[in-house]
Amino acid sequence: MHDGGKATRVIGIRSAEQVLTKNMTTPDSAKDSLTSALNSNIIPNREYLLQGSVVDQYVEVLLHRLRGLCDNVDDGAETFYDHEMCFSLCMNSSGNPLVFPLRVRRALDAQDAPYQLRYIGQQELGDKNRPTIVRSSIDVACSASIVEFLQELGCRLDFEYTARGYMFRKGRMKITVSKICKCGGGNKPGENIELISQSYLVELSVLAPSGYDAIAEDMRVFAEQLKPLVHLEKIDYKRL
Amino acid sequence: MERDVEQLHAALNAVKILRSNVGYVFESVSNGLRADHGEDGKDAKFVTELQVLLTTVNNNLRDVENAVSNLTSPPGAFNLGNTTYLSQETTQERQALYGQLVNSYKWTDKIREYSAVAGHILQTNSISKTYKTFSMTKRRKTQTSIHNVPPDVIENHISAIDRLFTDMTITTSRPFVLNPIIQVSLGRVLKAIIAFKGLMIEWVVIKAHAESNDIWTESRYRVFQKVTENSHAAMCHFYAPTMPELGVRSFMHWLHSYITLFSSPCKKCANHLHSNLPPTWRDLRTLEPYHEECK
Amino acid sequence: MGVTVLQQFPIVEQRTGPSTIELLTKRIVALGATQQGQFLVDCETYSSVPQLGAQKTVHVLHNSEQPATVFSILETGSKTIPLITDGLFDLLMMKMSNFYQSKKQTKVESKGPRFEIGDFSVKLGSVAVSQNFKGILVEVEYRPCIVPAMCWDLIREFLQGFLGSSVSSTPPPYLQNKMQEVYTPNDTIQQYLEHFTVYRKSHFKM
Repeated sequence: MHDGGKATRVIGIRSAEQVLTKNMTTPDSAKDSLTSALNSNIIPNREYLLQGSVVDQYVEVLLHRLRGLCDNVDDGAETFYDHEMCFSLCMNSSGNPLVFPLRVRRALDAQDAPYQLRYIGQQELGDKNRPTIVRSSIDVACSASIVEFLQELGCRLDFEYTARGYMFRKGRMKITVSKICKCGGGNKPGENIELISQSYLVELSVLAPSGYDAIAEDMRVFAEQLKPLVHLEKIDYKRL
Repeated sequence: MERDVEQLHAALNAVKILRSNVGYVFESVSNGLRADHGEDGKDAKFVTELQVLLTTVNNNLRDVENAVSNLTSPPGAFNLGNTTYLSQETTQERQALYGQLVNSYKWTDKIREYSAVAGHILQTNSISKTYKTFSMTKRRKTQTSIHNVPPDVIENHISAIDRLFTDMTITTSRPFVLNPIIQVSLGRVLKAIIAFKGLMIEWVVIKAHAESNDIWTESRYRVFQKVTENSHAAMCHFYAPTMPELGVRSFMHWLHSYITLFSSPCKKCANHLHSNLPPTWRDLRTLEPYHEECK
Repeated sequence: MGVTVLQQFPIVEQRTGPSTIELLTKRIVALGATQQGQFLVDCETYSSVPQLGAQKTVHVLHNSEQPATVFSILETGSKTIPLITDGLFDLLMMKMSNFYQSKKQTKVESKGPRFEIGDFSVKLGSVAVSQNFKGILVEVEYRPCIVPAMCWDLIREFLQGFLGSSVSSTPPPYLQNKMQEVYTPNDTIQQYLEHFTVYRKSHFKM
């Protein structure tokens, strides 16, 4: 786990040096620096994910255990209340339907925070013994005009929901325990809340550049510590 | 001269005798009872010996005092004669004495000249912050101080000034107990951070809205640095210890004229820019914009 | 971010692009400016594939003044929607290449030296449409002021001081609607896009 972190940092520094020494007089165009960053593998564009759920009655015990294990709990756990909208851009090209999914997430409890645009790709089919789901993901912070932008771009709103819960961090891992609710549409997602289920969704995720598979092992070890309260496992979406 | 030397010798002698007798006293006290005091009546003999020694010391002290009173203190500085040269370097070439002497002479000369001119100029302007009463009768009565004013009086004044202009908003914070620091936002042009001491304006800093509210950091922009300097001049000009509210109010009027900092041209040269700065000076009476160089 | 105004500088027949930049550099340095490196503003255009329906274009611009930001402007026939995002948005556009394709021939950029004089920032840019030189675009920013209406005359006077009589007496068309609002970096980008569109169209004349 630590080795993985150090390796990224060293690689990150080296490629920054390369970028700096390349051209001191003219600034690099953004495209050039992006391609050089991609080539040196410092952009975190993969998500390693484990998911599980815990019934409402036992969520307090789980939070207690997480508070003991995790880093960011000085003044009580961090809470969040987010509203997520899922869009998809659909196109029919020569018989094959192409779908490009995009998610927009905004914080309802912090009005000044920027919106987050997320692209999540398909699960990487690889090794069956891999402990976690690995899928490509690109996270971009954006201004509030993103919703109108996506709608004019041709995206269609598939569904939306609100998530309210707690966020914990341990090293590079992020653990969220949240309750998903259906929201009243439009501009007032806080009203007309219907709970979807009697349990909390627990997710353990890490964002890293591709190739850092050692992290998956660390995630599995951490997940072991949360058993038998919650079983975090990789969920095969095709079987759902 | 000879008599003085004789008396000096006599006084020194007397001090010497006193010192040796005091030495004897301490010696006998520290030795305590000795063998030659004998067997019987040791204590009495010891005590008498001590008494004799102490009376001699007393007499010597009286002698010393008499001798010293006869001495006259030397007139003026001592003439050390040739002994002054003991503390000096023998080779003159190793010291840069001549060069240093010339420089320090020039320096002191210039200081005298400049301070004479400065004193002359400063005397013509009566911008002195100390308030002196020149009549004898009023000295008993306590002066109306503008520093020890109760905080709610200051609050009232500040809110009155706030209501004076619609495009000037004031927020107050009190980091130092009673004395308020107010932030004045003048439209979207600038913001001024003013520290008060009682009813008197003590310090002003002018910055752009985006900059911090810290009173100690200067603005990043040259135009606001110039306006800050000008506001210090205005602060001294509008200082009126007899009518402090009027002083603060006139200062605020003057500050409000800066709402046209970027939009109005200079009255004298009719240009917006002079050495890349807009007209940063507002005349203290007419409130008209002028460039730094045109005023 | 202060109020920024872009101004085209016409090139005289006898002179070439680089020599005009040299001339302007000499003028501005004579006024007391110091060079503070280089700047680069570039624009790439993506248009929607026909299967998506009506034609829509996305212009993706970068400004070296805000290096961690990507500005995008979506133009449908009727609406223009600006969007401001992090640097990874480029990667996302690359992933959407099935839906929005980039027209490499219309990549426009303006780059050149950047000067600072008093509270002004001056940038002398040579505009190139896919490596062909098209013209000179001068950008002047007056940093202390954030409302265009207050300092338009001041900036105009400054521009006249070293560009001469080619300065227009009315503010740029994009700014005219926004004179009383607080100025944002997005406004600078919109002005650049306006000028770049003009330069792209002049492609056919030359």
